Amino acid sequence: MGSKILEIIKLVKKYESGFVLKIDYMHAEENKILVLIGPNGSGKSTLIRLINLLEKPDSGNIIFDGKQISGSDIDKVSIRKKISAVFQEPLLFRTSVYNNILLGLSIRRQKLSDFKDSFDFLIKKLKLQKLLNRNPRSLSGGEQQRVALARALILNPKLLLLDEPLANIDQISREELRADLFDILKNMGRSTIYVTHDRNEAMILADDIAVINEGRIEQYGSKNEVFRKPENEFVAKFVGAENLLEGKIIESSNNVCKVKIKKKKDEHLDNNLIISAISNYLPETRVMIAIRPEDIALYNIEMQNIEIRNELITDKNTFHGIITDIQDSGIFKKIEIDCGFKIISYDTPNSIERLGLFIGKKIIAGVKADSIHLFKK
Amino acid sequence: MELITEGIKKAFILIFTGDREIFEIMLLTIRVSGISVIISMILGIPAGLIAGLNNFKGKKFVISIINTGMGLPPVAAGLFVSLILWRSGPLGFLNIIYTPAAMIIAQILIASPIIAGVTLAAVQQINPKLKYQAMSLGANRWQVLWILIREAKLPTLAAIMAGFGGVISEVGAVMMVGGNIKGQTRVLTTATVQMVRMGNFDIAIALVIILLFLTFAVNLVLTLIQQKENITWAQRFWR
Repeated sequence: MGSKILEIIKLVKKYESGFVLKIDYMHAEENKILVLIGPNGSGKSTLIRLINLLEKPDSGNIIFDGKQISGSDIDKVSIRKKISAVFQEPLLFRTSVYNNILLGLSIRRQKLSDFKDSFDFLIKKLKLQKLLNRNPRSLSGGEQQRVALARALILNPKLLLLDEPLANIDQISREELRADLFDILKNMGRSTIYVTHDRNEAMILADDIAVINEGRIEQYGSKNEVFRKPENEFVAKFVGAENLLEGKIIESSNNVCKVKIKKKKDEHLDNNLIISAISNYLPETRVMIAIRPEDIALYNIEMQNIEIRNELITDKNTFHGIITDIQDSGIFKKIEIDCGFKIISYDTPNSIERLGLFIGKKIIAGVKADSIHLFKK
Repeated sequence: MELITEGIKKAFILIFTGDREIFEIMLLTIRVSGISVIISMILGIPAGLIAGLNNFKGKKFVISIINTGMGLPPVAAGLFVSLILWRSGPLGFLNIIYTPAAMIIAQILIASPIIAGVTLAAVQQINPKLKYQAMSLGANRWQVLWILIREAKLPTLAAIMAGFGGVISEVGAVMMVGGNIKGQTRVLTTATVQMVRMGNFDIAIALVIILLFLTFAVNLVLTLIQQKENITWAQRFWR
């Protein structure tokens, strides 16, 4: 484990609106990207403003670079000079792009000559070379945000705060800028807190993830932990484990347990309601079963392919079901299957055609035991 | 008709021959109004910025006071300053009534609310998040203020123009506290009133021409500054 650049301990901030941000504990590691993810209004930006000392917490501690910074006797300006932030809006000033990029350096009374290499690197990576003399007002949203990023990155901050910097940009520019930004962050090895409500972004950028909801951290952990092993229903849904089933452990041995899935309605199919999962919960524990839709494989029941049959028998949980709906969902199609309980899977239109799937078709859905995550209800 | 054409002719002669009295009146006007506007800027711009950019208790009350001040009748300012500076008044010991200093005080009372009010309106148009962005970049209180003044540059210069226009054209208050004493407190406006009363239209026309020219010149300079975009102000910090 690396050293901690930031620790937040028992931080509380109350608002007149009734919203309360309450973080018991959270930390960000040096030279890693921590993604703070949560729905709109969950308190992500508030937390960023607190870390940036733009707002005062009601109680609790923020420890930055080994020093407590949340007290009232702290020289806020000198702390802010070690941090830089980019917000959802580019917030550029009424001067040229060049001057905007250098504004932070001039505020901090740094010499441009000391930052020449980093300036050249950033304007090249952020594709700003041809825009330096332009007025920011004449730039597109994506270009403006590139300027804001250059302005923050050139300061070589100990901690970089990025508060949904890509949220207001059209999709094509967003993907391009995300790739450029990711490249820069990895290249420069910056300690970064990145705020987003977009789980794809979190998936691409994060080393660690904190899921925040209604002012509280729901789960904190490495990217894989959070995505593969959500600890509660909110996190599971938020990270895209769309299949959430209730069940009870009926058998458990050697880290493998059998869970009986609670039926949703009267069963009309002769179905297996027992699922195997890797977990060491004790029998009788009531659990939630989380399965990511992309981990569900669909098989045409009439297929006589021996290999597939063997595969199904050997290492998969299988359920017989009927397709109840197929909907467009971006490049994939969303398939709803009734197995006595509802499950969702995604597949490409091509694959759906190849498998001969249609609404009303009987199929087999298979999930590997290690793709199933259980958490206590 | 002859009155007018002859008046204008004589006026130009007076101006271009460098009539000593007119020249002195002009210099005093520039001095009094110039100092007034500069002090009013020093008071009014920060007041407008602070009231406009911060949230505090009684903000609406302060804004109402500033707005009332913007419409303050000059005679009211004149009366107030007279009362304060009158020999038996609270500051009578200063002995500055009927001096340019008293005129400057009266003009500050008129111009600073105008400058504060227009600045206030201007900074309220700025995206309030820019203040946080500046702070986030590490700016201290004064740097934030300076950055936001730059951001509100166009309307702030308009505020200065409005303030200058307010004082240089003012006659009631300076008459009251300055006394229009020849060679001492006589400025372009009070001299014009005096000359018209005396029927010296040629001198009155000359004075008004100078007054218009001064107003035009000051506004021209400010407009040029205002319209000059992209001053490389970050580079100022580099050697």
